[in-house]
Amino acid sequence: MTELTDVAESDLRGIRDLDIDDVLAYVHRDLKRLPDYTELYKRYLRQRWDVYELDFSQDVADWRERMTQEERDAFVGISAGFHHGERQVEVELPVFMLGGSEESKIYMSSQIEDEARHTVFFDRFYREVVGMPGDSVQEVLDASFEHVSETFVGPFGLLAYQADELRKDPEDPAARVRYGTTYFLWIEGVLALSVMKITLTYCRERGFLPGYYTGFTATCRDEARHVQFGMRFLRDSVQEDPRLLLQIHETLRTILAINGAASRRLALESLGWTPEEVRRLMIRQLHMKLTDVGIAIPPDIREMVSRIEPELAGG
Amino acid sequence: MRFFTPEWAEAARAAVDAGPERAGKLPTYWNWIDRARTGYTATWALGVRETGEYLVLRWKDGKCAEAEITSDPSAADYVLAAGADTWRELREGADPGRVVMYRQLRLERGDVLAFFRVIYFFVESLAALSRLRTD
Repeated sequence: MTELTDVAESDLRGIRDLDIDDVLAYVHRDLKRLPDYTELYKRYLRQRWDVYELDFSQDVADWRERMTQEERDAFVGISAGFHHGERQVEVELPVFMLGGSEESKIYMSSQIEDEARHTVFFDRFYREVVGMPGDSVQEVLDASFEHVSETFVGPFGLLAYQADELRKDPEDPAARVRYGTTYFLWIEGVLALSVMKITLTYCRERGFLPGYYTGFTATCRDEARHVQFGMRFLRDSVQEDPRLLLQIHETLRTILAINGAASRRLALESLGWTPEEVRRLMIRQLHMKLTDVGIAIPPDIREMVSRIEPELAGG
Repeated sequence: MRFFTPEWAEAARAAVDAGPERAGKLPTYWNWIDRARTGYTATWALGVRETGEYLVLRWKDGKCAEAEITSDPSAADYVLAAGADTWRELREGADPGRVVMYRQLRLERGDVLAFFRVIYFFVESLAALSRLRTD
């Protein structure tokens, strides 16, 4: 089997041995072809994993005994955004499911389940490994919010307000495309994949946190379906009504305008990443989505993309 | 000083105009906010859902020029409202960024994308007016 076939077909035990770069290649492999929603739903049924099968016992030992305080701080700082982010998309996605084709709705039900499972994954990691206090999911979220940076507050806040906007008319094509640009293109396609690459590369190279590595790599494979759904949705929307391209552009202008505001610095160097490497990673993730799906952007947005600041690293 | 009175509204205007304490956050963050604020002209109406009252803040060329309490926010560019519990939590120190991210302060009217282009300026203004001491 090729590496990408391994990615597609591995069970949770096999996922632990996958290289994150192969999983990221798997995310992008189908962007030019873009499978239909039914194919993605079938893939979900084959790839679904049980979050309660993850074993965090070695992670606890690594966290307490092998990682430095600086590494722990940076790791919590970067992953807290997705502790809240997974919860955020779990509750904001149902409104998007209300619109679109029946195939889209069926697929979307699987993505909502994915996001709920990812929320449980982070809840278990923060509770069992990091040691955040709390009897409920909300209490653990409350404990980790102080680590969430503007990198996540802005885009996830925008998504929450766009979900409210969409709730007024779930079939409004322009509102759906604006929502889809924030969620599928930026949050899933750029932020999530960048955070995955940074934290999972650290885990793999250092041999730390095998439970986190397994669960978040499985999450990354789930993201392949999410990104491919989203890019297909955006491509089809624009093909159907080219005027909707302007909605993608306006949303990108807002996202890129708020990019770069970070109130505190994360020492990602301790995880093996320089700010410039993070910057290049984010730009590359965005370019790959736009290019592969054929979303043209005007010069002012190209300029904004080139000025993306490594805000994940604190600006 | 009582919450949502003309006296409080004027204190809120002065507080957001001055901005919050800048200690503890990166200078580049405040640079972003200063850029967002430069020349900013718009009117925010921030309401309490239970009472139907709004604090209206009028920004002109980057200065918060006027404030009033009203039950008619129709002239505002952005109308937002939260429940009394959220306002109480903010006065007790809740993170205004989280209040936004969790959509506890809802945008009832106004362009979402335009509103978010200055979102951290808004968050810090919310922080500044939430820290006013009230009875």
